[in-house]
Amino acid sequence: MALPPAVELRRRNRAALLQQLHRHGPQTRAALTEALGLNRSTIGALATELAESGHIEETTGQSTGSAGRPSTLVACVPQSITVAAVEIRADRLRFALVGLGGEVLERSETALDEGADPMTAVSVITGGTAAASAEAVAAVPGLVDEGTVAHSTELGWIDRDAAADLEAATGREWQVVDTATAAAVGEWTRGDARDSRKLLYLHGGRGLTAGLVIEGRAQRGGSIQLGHIVVEPGGRECACGLRGCLEAEMEAFGFGEDFETTTLAAGMGDAAARDRLRRFGEDLGWALGAVVTATGPDEILFGGWLRELYLSTAAPVRSALAETTLPHLRSKLRLRTPVLGDEGALIGAAETGFAALFDQMR
Amino acid sequence: MLLELTGLSKRFGPVEVLSDVDLAIDAGEVCALVGDNGAGKSTLVKCVAGIHGIDGGAITVDGEARHITGPRDAAALGIEVVYQDLALCDNLDVVENLFLGREKMRGMMLDDDAMEQLAAETLSSLAVRTIRNLRQPVASLSGGQRQTVAIAKAVLWNSRLVILDEPTAALGVAQTRQVLELIRRLADQGLAVLYISHNLNDVFAVADRIAALYLGRMAAVLDAADATQSQVVELITSGRSGTLGLGADTNGART
Ligand SMILES: Nc1ncnc2c1ncn2[C@@H]1O[C@H](COP(=O)(O)OP(=O)(O)OP(=O)(O)O)[C@@H](O)[C@H]1O
Ligand SMILES: [Mg+2]
Ligand SMILES: [Zn+2]
Repeated sequence: MALPPAVELRRRNRAALLQQLHRHGPQTRAALTEALGLNRSTIGALATELAESGHIEETTGQSTGSAGRPSTLVACVPQSITVAAVEIRADRLRFALVGLGGEVLERSETALDEGADPMTAVSVITGGTAAASAEAVAAVPGLVDEGTVAHSTELGWIDRDAAADLEAATGREWQVVDTATAAAVGEWTRGDARDSRKLLYLHGGRGLTAGLVIEGRAQRGGSIQLGHIVVEPGGRECACGLRGCLEAEMEAFGFGEDFETTTLAAGMGDAAARDRLRRFGEDLGWALGAVVTATGPDEILFGGWLRELYLSTAAPVRSALAETTLPHLRSKLRLRTPVLGDEGALIGAAETGFAALFDQMR
Repeated sequence: MLLELTGLSKRFGPVEVLSDVDLAIDAGEVCALVGDNGAGKSTLVKCVAGIHGIDGGAITVDGEARHITGPRDAAALGIEVVYQDLALCDNLDVVENLFLGREKMRGMMLDDDAMEQLAAETLSSLAVRTIRNLRQPVASLSGGQRQTVAIAKAVLWNSRLVILDEPTAALGVAQTRQVLELIRRLADQGLAVLYISHNLNDVFAVADRIAALYLGRMAAVLDAADATQSQVVELITSGRSGTLGLGADTNGART
């Protein structure tokens, strides 16, 4: 509030312009003027200023329309702001350095020994780039709240202050989000889910987690332990100590590993395999019914190996949803699979970092 | 409504194969058409595609009654049918197949590079990553890739209604999933899709509405969000389920 209104307005317009270019790609000044609702001279002054600071450049694009006149496009300079993103899995560490505008500048991954602590590997894989980047975000499969991983089936973590451990390992601050939330942010920003207001992403890894984002933004409390919703009271014992958790009831699949064998057998008419598939689809549908009733999403994405499960057992999944949710919650609900595939969580982690940066700029 | 069938009837000699069928399909939605063998699904498709003439009722496109007397009429209205035995030319490559039969379209003068670029853009707009080489002959593609080319053709030529008659019947598990995702994406891009399948998992995976034909009659049209598998199975096998269907108190069919 200490800033004079004119300076503050200018800051805000700068942030809005960069965010517009970051999300929607190179465009003409005229398009920017229209998208941001600012007048031509304001856009001109901002563009000059941001070009001088090295954030944007103006390039001569391809000819447009029948007149064939080349038009000048305003574009981000990717290297001007970078975000480091890592995705931690039980057996692998994946890294991406993403530049302003969304270009992936660096991408690598490394295998982890089973049971090894990934923190040391993080400092190796990010090298010097993490220190130089404006934000660093880690995606972790599990229940995450403000830097702490309350529970992760996949990593075997309980109440681990991952943000602090990452900082100790790399010497810089980290944001921590759960893998499902990160993937939801990724699909909303760079995938096909941008029309969704309340997007629920389900992630099938070695455990089952879910993340809810509103207008593409991660929410505190949006990390959901899908795998530990009880679908069979008194059922199989779960690693978490409860009985009949969705995850425990699906353990037969070795979390996706022999899932394809089961679908194949079912497709070839194996009655036992069919029965198993139907039961897993039904269990997922019931667990989902509870989540939908509690959170009211308008779109659900089935990610990780849940993509395969959904596409092969959609009939029992949707039947169970129809039987356990109110009409107004299910009638407009879109059920889809992600388009970014395996890259979604990494891209989304980076976009979570950019969202925080744009907030700070305002 | 993009396509509306009202009171559609079709006879082969003395046998009435479709009786008084009502069905409406809107842009942006996948409507699944289910029914037992011989229920009349393919016949319905062929009536819309102009292969069979109709004996009663009306076919309306964009609210206007149309006489579709051949595949050319259907294509002019933006209706594209992908049959299971696809009409692709094995000796031509992917790009040539996508443009086959349309080279002489008015005002279109595209060179090879432009055609290849347009083909690549179309496939990428559908998030198709399985076809690497657009210059490879279609004969060397897998069943799923062939299906993908046929569907992409519909998008490339700005079709507004795509009808798929059992497109996944001959495909393996992984390829079926890709085609299902493609079908959903077509509708999400604003096309209307009529999808015929005997596999209820495939139907529930993509459908917004499910229309069940029973012995040539429309037993019910359900919102997929409200439907259960057992309801649909009953409608297919007996034409009714609880209060839904033929001869029941309330008819699930839309009017
Ligand atoms: N050209 C034709 N001449 C005579 N009868 C026909 C002709 N085409 C279809 N029929 C008959 O019409 C009925 C409906 O056939 P149709 O092919 O529409 O069924 P369908 O629902 O597509 O079945 P399927 O699931 O087996 O493909 C069948 O009894 C069939 O024998
Ligand atoms: Mg048929
Ligand atoms: Zn549990």
